[in-house]
Amino acid sequence: MDTSAAGKTFPPYEFQVERGKIREFAAAVGDPNPVYRDPAAAAAEGLPGIPAPPTLLRTFLYEPQTSAEALGVVDWSFIVHGEQEFEYFAPVVAGDVLTGTQRILSVTEKESRRAGKLAIGVIETVFHNQRGEKVQVLRRTLIETGQRIAD
Amino acid sequence: MAQHASFASLNVGDGPAPLVFGPLTRTDFVRYAGASHDFNPNHHDEIYATERGNKTVFGMGMLAAGYGGRLMTDWFGVPALRRLRIRFASRFWPGDVLTATGKVMAKNEADGVLECEFTLVNQDGEVIVRGDATVAPRT
Repeated sequence: MDTSAAGKTFPPYEFQVERGKIREFAAAVGDPNPVYRDPAAAAAEGLPGIPAPPTLLRTFLYEPQTSAEALGVVDWSFIVHGEQEFEYFAPVVAGDVLTGTQRILSVTEKESRRAGKLAIGVIETVFHNQRGEKVQVLRRTLIETGQRIAD
Repeated sequence: MAQHASFASLNVGDGPAPLVFGPLTRTDFVRYAGASHDFNPNHHDEIYATERGNKTVFGMGMLAAGYGGRLMTDWFGVPALRRLRIRFASRFWPGDVLTATGKVMAKNEADGVLECEFTLVNQDGEVIVRGDATVAPRT
């Protein structure tokens, strides 16, 4: 990884949170909760629409690969996704149009007795909705190890 | 939906009914690949995965994270979630059965907020993911 990448920012990108994607995602994580399928069930929980499951927005990080590329990874088979964090500020519901803005929070290196030299990169993505409200912040921690991990 | 747990009813050490996922199948991994756009071939292409020394395809960490998210939203409801963090500890495989458990670690009376932890373990008790969450349950 490139330790000088910390602080880099990237152009915002936009996407719509679709009701069909919410239902598909809920089914994929084995969640039968009716709030993801039935507007009345969502309204009964005080939600303004069919809500996004808690880990859904992680999937929209696949759209802009630029920030991950900017980490300067040479070989992705040495990379492990170490940690993923979500902060929730306001509901995200079907039909919302979100804008994601990514930046590289930090890139640090350290020595591990078990895995050799490690580089740890943290990418933060802030999502705003169509009203300009900050709805979620995601932090993705990628770890580059001295040996192949998942591959 | 069943009534969600209230702030007043919960104390440090309390937990929800465990959730069990599996036995997991390759189809479960493929369904998550489609839903999440994670098309890393290690998760669906047996030939690719075994050529690289894996015994077979393995599940996505974010799939296990989704199971952990469900543990929290079943317990407290979707709107209660303020923060969720997942740390990936080990891989999981077709045939594995993952059990999600959680508990309250701290109760902040002033803010009406709970700090919780959860884990997903496989059938041998090996931890697959560890997570923690901040929630603001109904009063």
